[in-house]
Amino acid sequence: MDPDDDLPPPDAAAALQLIRDQRGATARQLQPDARLLYWPWGVAWLVGFGLFFLRFSPDGRGLLRLPDWLPLTALFVLLVAAAAIQAVTGKRAYGQVTGDSSRRGRWYGCAWVLGSLSVFAVLGRVVDHLPYDQAALLWSATAVGLTGALQMAGGAIWLDRDLFRLGVWISVTNVIGTFAGPGWHALVLAVAGSGGILAAGAISWRRQRHPQ
Amino acid sequence: MTELDPVIHAQARLRVVASLSALGDSDRITFPRLQELLAMTAGNLSVHLRKLEDAGYVEISKTHRGRTPTTLIRLSRRGRLAFEEYTEAIRALLDPTSSKEQS
Repeated sequence: MDPDDDLPPPDAAAALQLIRDQRGATARQLQPDARLLYWPWGVAWLVGFGLFFLRFSPDGRGLLRLPDWLPLTALFVLLVAAAAIQAVTGKRAYGQVTGDSSRRGRWYGCAWVLGSLSVFAVLGRVVDHLPYDQAALLWSATAVGLTGALQMAGGAIWLDRDLFRLGVWISVTNVIGTFAGPGWHALVLAVAGSGGILAAGAISWRRQRHPQ
Repeated sequence: MTELDPVIHAQARLRVVASLSALGDSDRITFPRLQELLAMTAGNLSVHLRKLEDAGYVEISKTHRGRTPTTLIRLSRRGRLAFEEYTEAIRALLDPTSSKEQS
């Protein structure tokens, strides 16, 4: 044992500073980096829904000549990548901690996986009977609706204001986009949806670096 | 001058307790992760954890994660209380008039 570290702190101010520094450093290291949690989703929405809008623009026009399969494939691959980045980041931060925090995280992850599965199972059976533009709208509006609801639920679980507000924003933009119709929905999500996610990541990251 | 808890009033153990206090009430952290957070050697951390355990301030449990044996550490209720009292006493030393309001 290092004999020096068994000594008391030099004075009360040093003791208080040591407490603050240590608690701050621990909290920071056990918190996943907000940029890695939010920004990959923002990029996925920006690129994926952006391509959707360009290929399947409103009123059946195509602003850009792209293969039909490209937008959906790009969106799916980017969403899976974002989920993987989130899982790895979360595991690195919470992986060595057990108890209520990790249980919350695990159950929340389960809600995402099972919620998505049940929604996609239902939609998969229905969309074949719809014209392509309506089917695309149904897919994306339902998936985004689920996302907004789960983000609000996440905000409630962790009392995380940024996540809750993002859920509200995503839900509102989803409703606006859905009323605007096929094509426009993708544009609203690519701009306002991804913008909201990127902004929430930046705000949350700033809060992590400068806690009140 | 207020009598400060001698178990916590040592730099290394104060760091250990402050770090554990930043976890949730029922959360436990693995030994290697705590060691990493504190940048202490395994031997040094063990010595201090034993002293804190003897005082009833931390709970150390041995378990298995898959096939790997794991040591998990958490601040006990008593340890959390002792840390709060210590922090309060330090604040009172620094500013005897406003310590009550800050707590």
